[in-house]
Amino acid sequence: MTTVETAQRSERTSRAPTGDRRAWVPVVLALLVTFAAARIGDPAQVAWLRNFLIVFGSLLVEAVPFVVLGAFVSAGIEVLVPASAFARIGRLPRSMQAPAAALAGVTFPVCECGSVPVARRLVAKGLAPSAAVTFMLAAPIVNPVVVASTFVAYRGRDTLWVMVGGRFLLGLVVAIVVGWVIGARRPEDLLRRAPALEAHEVDAAEPRWRRFAGHLSGDVVFMARFLIIGAAIAAAIQTFVPQTIVDGLASLPVLSLVAMMGLAFLMSLCSESDAFVAASFVSFGPGPQLAFLVFGPMVDTKLTALYIGTYSRGFFRTVLVTVAATTLVATLWIEVLFG
Amino acid sequence: MTRWSALRVATGGVLAAWAGLFWFLLATDRTALFLSSRTEWLVPSGAVLLTLAAIGRLASARTVPGGDGADALTRRDAWTLGAIALPVVILVAMPPVTLGTYAVGKRASFVGSSVGSSVRVVSGSLDFVDVAAAQSFDDAARVLAKRAGEPIALDGIVSATEGLPPDEFLLTRFIVTCCTADATIAQVRVVGAPPGAFEPDQWVEVRGRIYPVGREVLVAAERVEAIPAPPDPYLTP
Repeated sequence: MTTVETAQRSERTSRAPTGDRRAWVPVVLALLVTFAAARIGDPAQVAWLRNFLIVFGSLLVEAVPFVVLGAFVSAGIEVLVPASAFARIGRLPRSMQAPAAALAGVTFPVCECGSVPVARRLVAKGLAPSAAVTFMLAAPIVNPVVVASTFVAYRGRDTLWVMVGGRFLLGLVVAIVVGWVIGARRPEDLLRRAPALEAHEVDAAEPRWRRFAGHLSGDVVFMARFLIIGAAIAAAIQTFVPQTIVDGLASLPVLSLVAMMGLAFLMSLCSESDAFVAASFVSFGPGPQLAFLVFGPMVDTKLTALYIGTYSRGFFRTVLVTVAATTLVATLWIEVLFG
Repeated sequence: MTRWSALRVATGGVLAAWAGLFWFLLATDRTALFLSSRTEWLVPSGAVLLTLAAIGRLASARTVPGGDGADALTRRDAWTLGAIALPVVILVAMPPVTLGTYAVGKRASFVGSSVGSSVRVVSGSLDFVDVAAAQSFDDAARVLAKRAGEPIALDGIVSATEGLPPDEFLLTRFIVTCCTADATIAQVRVVGAPPGAFEPDQWVEVRGRIYPVGREVLVAAERVEAIPAPPDPYLTP
């Protein structure tokens, strides 16, 4: 059992919450009332609410399967892979761990929501936090599905290879830089203590399949609450903020980059589809479009909720500042060279 | 001696509810309201994965009483699980609706070079995606200009009538790559429609002839009919 798991178990044993046999009754009643109100009131008749619900629903319908898939991988790592396997990776020179982890992202074709539970489990299992975070940030950008979708979105443009190659390389570089900044932080400094709901779920003495089921459901439930919050915020932003808000900044050198990063943050698009939206901003050069495509899959509204729920408070600040600064400097150079 | 763990049963119930949502989307053909044809495979995948997760949790829900309260369902746990189930309740209760006029003003115009290439405009029958490409790319615009006057049939929503002559409106179709969060719009201006016959958000089929005028594309209507919302309301590039 790792240090993090020991700490979590110790904490939950000392907490020993008392259950309420009827705790579920008011919750089920509230859900039934909500269902009846939604059926009778028909919120879809209100234009903005209809827009919000469709976008909110679509973000969840798209992201939840990836989160569950990530949770399956995560539970498999926990139950099937011995901690010694990660210790061997940990013996690599520190300067090599982040680049190796970033390149490993090529083999993991899921979007950003799926990589968070996997990285969390890798850290809890003993992988160096810098390597796990590098993998988490790189995988949604450098995996073959995303490379292919970027290619398709920009096919026929003069900037095709700048966009496809630039996105891949920048994704690697930015993720590695974040990994280096995370440096030698310990897992217990990085991961938040698991909240009660998830910590209750697994008993180390249970058979392997029961532990797998426990870790799986625990990860899904843990991630789902933050995903729902993030999706709700992203849907609200998409409902009230027009995408064209940044149009006036297209010709301003640095502001155009910042604006596109901000837009990527607000829109919270899946990394497998964001290239089509980035390509629609034809008034922006390749630099701002790359800023959108690199920054968004690493830091956006729904990921912010997931990061804050999963990692320590300082982690999100570190990722935000490092990803923003590195992306800004790199895309500024690209704008100078290819813009 | 084992007993049911309230926490595990409740967690399994929430997972089952989510699995139920994905099966519901499949059974009622509502996938296309949220996802594109490119990503519709996510719904059966999600249904199966969540069903397995729910079965696993419920099958392991009987535990040996440990006395430390670890499997107790607290009020806080119950409300948290209820919050996670809330989107399921809302999405199942919601009628099958699509993005409408409100969203048009919030979305960027579609630009998809993959489907907006001049090759497709030359060889294929014209549709909204070709029109959008011609509004964004010079080569696609030139090729579309050569096809001025050709017949075209477009389905879409009436998205704007204010500020236009009574026999004109904007016809819009959303183009979705993965999910409706990434929706962009393609739009033509319909002229020669029956004045005042159509309302914003109404689905119509327009048959007529296409006339690109600069970046704007006009369709001289020969027939405009109200139609029900199609089962696949969004186009996929």
